[in-house]
Amino acid sequence: MISEQKYWNPVLETLAHEKVRKLQLEKFKRIFSWAYERSKFHRGLYEKAGIKPADIRSFDDIRRIPTVEKSMMRGIQRKDPFPYGDALCVPLEEVSEFRQTSGTTGQPVYQADTWQDWEWWAECWAYILWAQGYRPKDRVFLPFGYNVFVAFWAGHYAAEKIGAEVVPGGVLDTQARILKIQELRCTAMMATPTYVLGMADTAKTKMGIDPTSLAIRKITCAGEPGASIPTTKKRMEDAWGAKVYDHAGATEIGAWCFECEAQSGGLHVNEAFFLVEIQDTETGEYIEEPGRRGKMIITALDRQAQPCVRFDSKDIIEWAPEPCPCGRTSRLIKGGVVGRSDDITKVKGVLLAPSAIEEVVRGLDGLADEFEVIVDKEGDIDRITLKIEILKGREGERKRIEAQLKDQLRLKTNLGYNLEFHDYGTLPRYDVKAKRFKDLRGKH
Amino acid sequence: MNAKDLKVLDSKIQSIKKTAEELKKMGEDFPALSRNVSRLLASVKMLELNVSDVAGIK
Repeated sequence: MISEQKYWNPVLETLAHEKVRKLQLEKFKRIFSWAYERSKFHRGLYEKAGIKPADIRSFDDIRRIPTVEKSMMRGIQRKDPFPYGDALCVPLEEVSEFRQTSGTTGQPVYQADTWQDWEWWAECWAYILWAQGYRPKDRVFLPFGYNVFVAFWAGHYAAEKIGAEVVPGGVLDTQARILKIQELRCTAMMATPTYVLGMADTAKTKMGIDPTSLAIRKITCAGEPGASIPTTKKRMEDAWGAKVYDHAGATEIGAWCFECEAQSGGLHVNEAFFLVEIQDTETGEYIEEPGRRGKMIITALDRQAQPCVRFDSKDIIEWAPEPCPCGRTSRLIKGGVVGRSDDITKVKGVLLAPSAIEEVVRGLDGLADEFEVIVDKEGDIDRITLKIEILKGREGERKRIEAQLKDQLRLKTNLGYNLEFHDYGTLPRYDVKAKRFKDLRGKH
Repeated sequence: MNAKDLKVLDSKIQSIKKTAEELKKMGEDFPALSRNVSRLLASVKMLELNVSDVAGIK
C-alpha cells in the first residue's frame, strides 16, 4: 500500500551522504550552465568574476561563484523581458506563473515560473507533506486567501499530487473557515503560526468551539519561525490537539526544508533538490560543523525560468549535531531558521533576535498569544518596550507574570525591557505574517 | 532499490519522454495535443529528478 510507505522517495531520502554530494555537484554544474548560457544577468555576474561553467569541478569552485542578493534582483526588474528583466532564462511565452515576494524587506521581487517549475514546487512540497504524515485519505483545509504571493499555493498542489483532498478556504472569514473545517471533518491544514493561534482563539472565545474537538490532527506552518520555537509550537499543539510541523521556503528559492513526523528539533534540508551552504557572517568562512550559526547561501538545483544560484538568503541557520531518527539521511538544521541576518539587531550593544522574545512570551502561563516589541531611543540610549496582554480572568496574576517575564527576558536576551500591559484583545491581530517587531531608531 | 533497478526505471522514463517529444512535434498545429504534451513532459521531468538523475550517480 502506497499510504504505508514512510518516504515519498525511498531512494533519494535514504541515499548515502557521499552520493548526495555527488548528485548535488552534478546538478549544480547543470543549473550553473543553464543560467550562464541563458541569462544576461547571470552571465554578466560570472564573467565579471572570471568564472565559466567548465571551471566548476568541486564544492570549493562553487564557493568562488558570486552570490546573488535580493537587492540585485530588484535592480534588474521592470525591464525587458517585462516585468522580470534579464535574469529570465526562458521565452516569456513559456512563463505560466507569476508570483512576487511579500515586500517585508523592501520593494517586492517578481518571480517567473514555467509549468515545469510549478510541478517542481509541488514536488518539493510533496516531500514535505509525506514526511509530515499527509496521505491520500487526508482532507486538507487551506485557510488562506490565495493571491500574488507564493504562500500555500504549492502546498495546495502538492496535497493534490500526493492524492489528498483539498478544501480551499480562500475568501471565507475566520469563523466561516472554522465552521467549514467542522462541517467537512478536515484532518489537516496549513497556515502561519500567527493565524493558527488566531483561529483557535476565535473558535474558543467567539464561537464556543474547542478546536481540539475538531478533526484537525496535522498542521503545517510557514511564513514565520513559530513552529520551530518550542513554546509557540506547544501553544499551537495544545490549542488544536494536533501535531504542528514547520517548513521553510521562499518565493525566490522554493520549499527547501521541512520538519518530519519524528519532530527531532530540526528541519531536513531537501538536499537532492537544494544545495545549502552556511557562511560565517563575520569572517566569510564556510561552516560545515554543527553548532555554529551563519547565513544561508542556497541554490535551487532544478529551477529554470528564474534560477536561484547561490542566493544570499540572509536566513540564519546552523547544522544539527545528530542525524534524524526518522532514517532520512539529509542533514538537519537545528531549530529551523532562527532569524535573518538583517533582523538580528544590536540593542544597547547586545545582539537581539526577535524570535528569542517570542519564545519567552509564548512560554509564560497567563499571557495571551499576541505581543509587540518597539525599539526606540530615550535620549541617546536604546529603549525596548514589550507590549503584552494578560489572558481574561488572569489579571490578578500580573505581579507574578511581570516578575517572571523580566527574569526570563534578561536570561534569554541579556537585556532589560519596559513592560506595557494591555487589555486582552487590544493589540493588533494578523492573518498572515505578523509585524510584531518595530525598530524606530532609524539608521543605527 | 539497487542501481540496476534504477537503471530499469530510468530506461522506461526515457521511453516515455521520447514518445512525448515525438507527439509534441506531431502536434505543432494541434494545440490540445501540444499543450497537454508540454504538461506531460513537465511531469516526466519530475520522474527524472526523482529517479534518472540519481541513477547516473555511482
